[in-house]
Amino acid sequence: MVLACAPPSSAPKLPPAPPAPPDGAGVVVGPAPLRRLTNHQYLNALHDLFPGQALALPDLPDDALVAGFDNAAEAQQPSDVRIARYEAIANLYAEAVTPDAPAVRALVGCDSWDTPDASAACASAFVARTGTRLFRRPLTDAEQQRFTQRLLAWKDAIDFEGAVRLTLSALLQAPQFLYRPEPDGASTAPGDITPVDPYAMASRLSFFLWQSVPDDALLAAAARDQLRAVADIAGQARRMLADDRSRRVFWDFHRQWLGLDRIDDAEHAARTPEVDAGWGEGTQASAGAESRSLIENLLAGGGTLADLLTSRRAWPDGEMARIYGSPAVADDAAATGPGLELSASERAGIFTRVAFLAGYSHRGGTSPPLRGNAIRMRLLCAPPVSPPPDADLSTPVADPGAGPQTNRMLFEARTRPAACQGCHAQLNGLGFGLENYDAAGAFRTHDNGLPVDASGQIHGTDVDRAFTGAIDLSQALGRSRVVHACATQQWVRYALGRAAVDAEAPLVQALSARFLASGGDLRGLLMDIVTAPSFRLRRAD
Amino acid sequence: MKINRRQLLKVLGLGGLSSGLALRHPGARADAGAFPTRIVFFVQPHGHVPGAWNMPIPGLPEAAGQFADRPLAGLAAGDFSEVLRPLHPFRDRLLAIEGLAHTVALADIAEITRTGGDLNNHSVSVAGLLTGTRALQRPGLPCTGASRSLDQELAARTAAPGRFGSRLYGSDYVPNSTVAPFSFLGPGQATPIVGDPAAAFADLLGYAAPAGGAQSPDTRAARLRAMRPSVLDAVAQEYALLAPQLSAASRMKLDDHRALVRDLESSLAAPPRAQCDLAFDSTGDRTTQFMRLIRLALACDLTRVVTFVAPVPQCPEFGYPAEASVHATYAHASILSKTSCGQAYSPVAERAMIDLGIWYANHLANLLRELDAVPEGSGTLLDHTVVVWITELATPTHQHHDVCTVLAGGGNGFFATGRYLRYPRLLSNPLPAFPAIGPAQNRLYASLLQAMQQPDASFGLTAATGADGASISLAGPLTELHR
Repeated sequence: MVLACAPPSSAPKLPPAPPAPPDGAGVVVGPAPLRRLTNHQYLNALHDLFPGQALALPDLPDDALVAGFDNAAEAQQPSDVRIARYEAIANLYAEAVTPDAPAVRALVGCDSWDTPDASAACASAFVARTGTRLFRRPLTDAEQQRFTQRLLAWKDAIDFEGAVRLTLSALLQAPQFLYRPEPDGASTAPGDITPVDPYAMASRLSFFLWQSVPDDALLAAAARDQLRAVADIAGQARRMLADDRSRRVFWDFHRQWLGLDRIDDAEHAARTPEVDAGWGEGTQASAGAESRSLIENLLAGGGTLADLLTSRRAWPDGEMARIYGSPAVADDAAATGPGLELSASERAGIFTRVAFLAGYSHRGGTSPPLRGNAIRMRLLCAPPVSPPPDADLSTPVADPGAGPQTNRMLFEARTRPAACQGCHAQLNGLGFGLENYDAAGAFRTHDNGLPVDASGQIHGTDVDRAFTGAIDLSQALGRSRVVHACATQQWVRYALGRAAVDAEAPLVQALSARFLASGGDLRGLLMDIVTAPSFRLRRAD
Repeated sequence: MKINRRQLLKVLGLGGLSSGLALRHPGARADAGAFPTRIVFFVQPHGHVPGAWNMPIPGLPEAAGQFADRPLAGLAAGDFSEVLRPLHPFRDRLLAIEGLAHTVALADIAEITRTGGDLNNHSVSVAGLLTGTRALQRPGLPCTGASRSLDQELAARTAAPGRFGSRLYGSDYVPNSTVAPFSFLGPGQATPIVGDPAAAFADLLGYAAPAGGAQSPDTRAARLRAMRPSVLDAVAQEYALLAPQLSAASRMKLDDHRALVRDLESSLAAPPRAQCDLAFDSTGDRTTQFMRLIRLALACDLTRVVTFVAPVPQCPEFGYPAEASVHATYAHASILSKTSCGQAYSPVAERAMIDLGIWYANHLANLLRELDAVPEGSGTLLDHTVVVWITELATPTHQHHDVCTVLAGGGNGFFATGRYLRYPRLLSNPLPAFPAIGPAQNRLYASLLQAMQQPDASFGLTAATGADGASISLAGPLTELHR
């Protein structure tokens, strides 16, 4: 048994499902702003649409973050660089998949385009076939006609193969590919709430659960109009969560929610020799890959939120094994298989992994307030706090001649004034609990020659208590209602590409209650989200 | 409110404005107006050690309460301050300005202290420096720019088919990392920054490459390339047809996208710039490469607005040990009796921050040399450009008053260069118990807008309140700088 995770069906008596009144009167659905594919979704889509192409692509400008997430519809303003990159990438893909006549034949689905009639038929077939995959729905007659006419005009200027290349480039830059427009019915008035168009629903599901385009089965379900009823949507979502592509959503969400990307920041390219002389060029990437394999293997395999916080399961490569003092089982980011268990006395869950511990440290030492604040803001959704303008933000160092002191002692002295304690009681209370891990994430029992004191205090939650060490802390938080509520709130934001509006608060509360009662079953939460009114219904603009 | 570029130009009656605008200022160079005015923002992280930047000009009054204006022409290199010395060869085209204040940052800090929010001096400065407005506070994240920054405002007004509105280069400050890149398209929307000179060059080529002129060989590949505008036309048409089916907000997103596709399309159809050398030299460090790219972009009129966010170098790059860090080791300890973050003053730290200032000045001098090497009319590209050297903070110790500012190039004769100016510090400071301050940097921005032939009399916030309740005007250009 790889993962000790209770299947969703074993969850005891769940609270009632979120409100699902007959669609129409009384149901609350927030706005549905136009969404652009995020950079990750765009690259995943290209990967899935053109398997086998491994192209060197220019970097897209970063997606703007709102509340830590890169998919907020409100922050997707285009820029000249983005448009230039889209064109460059479209041209690279179009060229790569049309190198010669056999490749074009395979792409187009025609054997010959020698006569005007044959080329017209092939052009039409190519536009319909490729257009449907890229636009995630059959083309309208007008679209079909426009792209076919363009293709035939370009054929006259160059040749058929070249015209296919140019048409593919145009399709890849079209708004129907790069954005996710959702049609409102012809007779809907602004504010009307109706089921999402089935093809748009296929895209909602796939760009959420797979972070990519729908597959044939989803498009076929849309064609049969079987993506409106809750049972139909749930059936597709269940199938999708069993597919490997769902690994992406667990990583994409958690890397942003928990700030696991921080390990990639330039500051973490190095550690001082005193911290870790072995920290080398590949350590950042190894740490990122190890956290990714933990999240994907654990959660796509049915793991719970508590598992994320307490599991000792790991897929370390050689570099992470060096820091963990474990054997190595992985050689790249796609590590799967059974993995291994890390030391029961040293490790439990994501807060004891290098990506988090080092990502929330500095080169030369740990910062308990930084780590504590990360847990507070990210896991508890606590509002941010700021140091006063005259705060001393430098790393505290011991006075020469004062004798050895631990990092904790130095931070305690620095933040002892009453003016600091209002915030630091909470920050330090959590952060000191991780002092058994140095700035490289290695376990330590001594700091500067003195025993580590990893006792702490949880404040402001439903599980407030004193604790000792990260394992004790993680176990307490794994049972917390506040943590489950925070996770739910963030998942809803992530799924909808916007913050829940006030009127959706009861929905978020209901989702959160079921999530907690399910034992933190993440796949169950995602099923509840995609079948909730805010996801499967649309309020007309 | 968001106005796209075309709407704005129409409103301002500037649709056809480029190089032909009549001169507003007597005494400008003879060929001013025959060449467009360009602007480069050279944005330096941290700030200066004032004693090493300020000029020890004989006869300059000691007291800071009096406006002073001294010519630079007669000064030898040795008379220049250490930090400004690398710019001595360009002294006739310099305006060194002492005593401006980041009044917006001061007002913002005063307000955040009252209301709560991200008070980190770096993020507040980064958010406000080029926007001229208070930072946008965001739950759980560093604060960020709350409005379109000056460079992007100028970009929106000076872009044209075949020309980028602006270019934003820098190899260190990265969007979505802890610190944003000073430049914003709109609230919370950091302008994409290009950190790799090779990618930046490719972008320029994307706009500059002729779409198959008469001299192109008639190969299949050339004919395919020549179809790029046609493909973009097909793409733009899709945006135009889809947008009316959507709500107003969604439509605006697609309209903006379509306008940018049309810009790219137009640029490809523009005639090749035969006089312009599009070669790129990839030798030297990234900053050096970017200085050459800025020359290329301006000389070829591929943009008229460039912002360069200078890096915080690794210490060995300016002669200090690898284990040291500019921010953690030196910055806060560099000014006697004005240290920050609890650090004790260290002469080594002061020397390091001075040497870092000289490092930046050398790169800036390099940029000026590049621009001066491009003949334009009876002068050079530098004569038709205004290079604006500004700093994130006034000092490495998080002060926001007594800022050190340099304008270089004169901007087509708009600025009266060759002078060292000291503004008196007579205005109330928004922070209690802090010294009086000089004019707001926002007023410099009004001057820059006018140098770029824009009618604005202000940019960003137009007023702030001192700690004593006095009103501080942030509006109106600094006419002392103008010719």
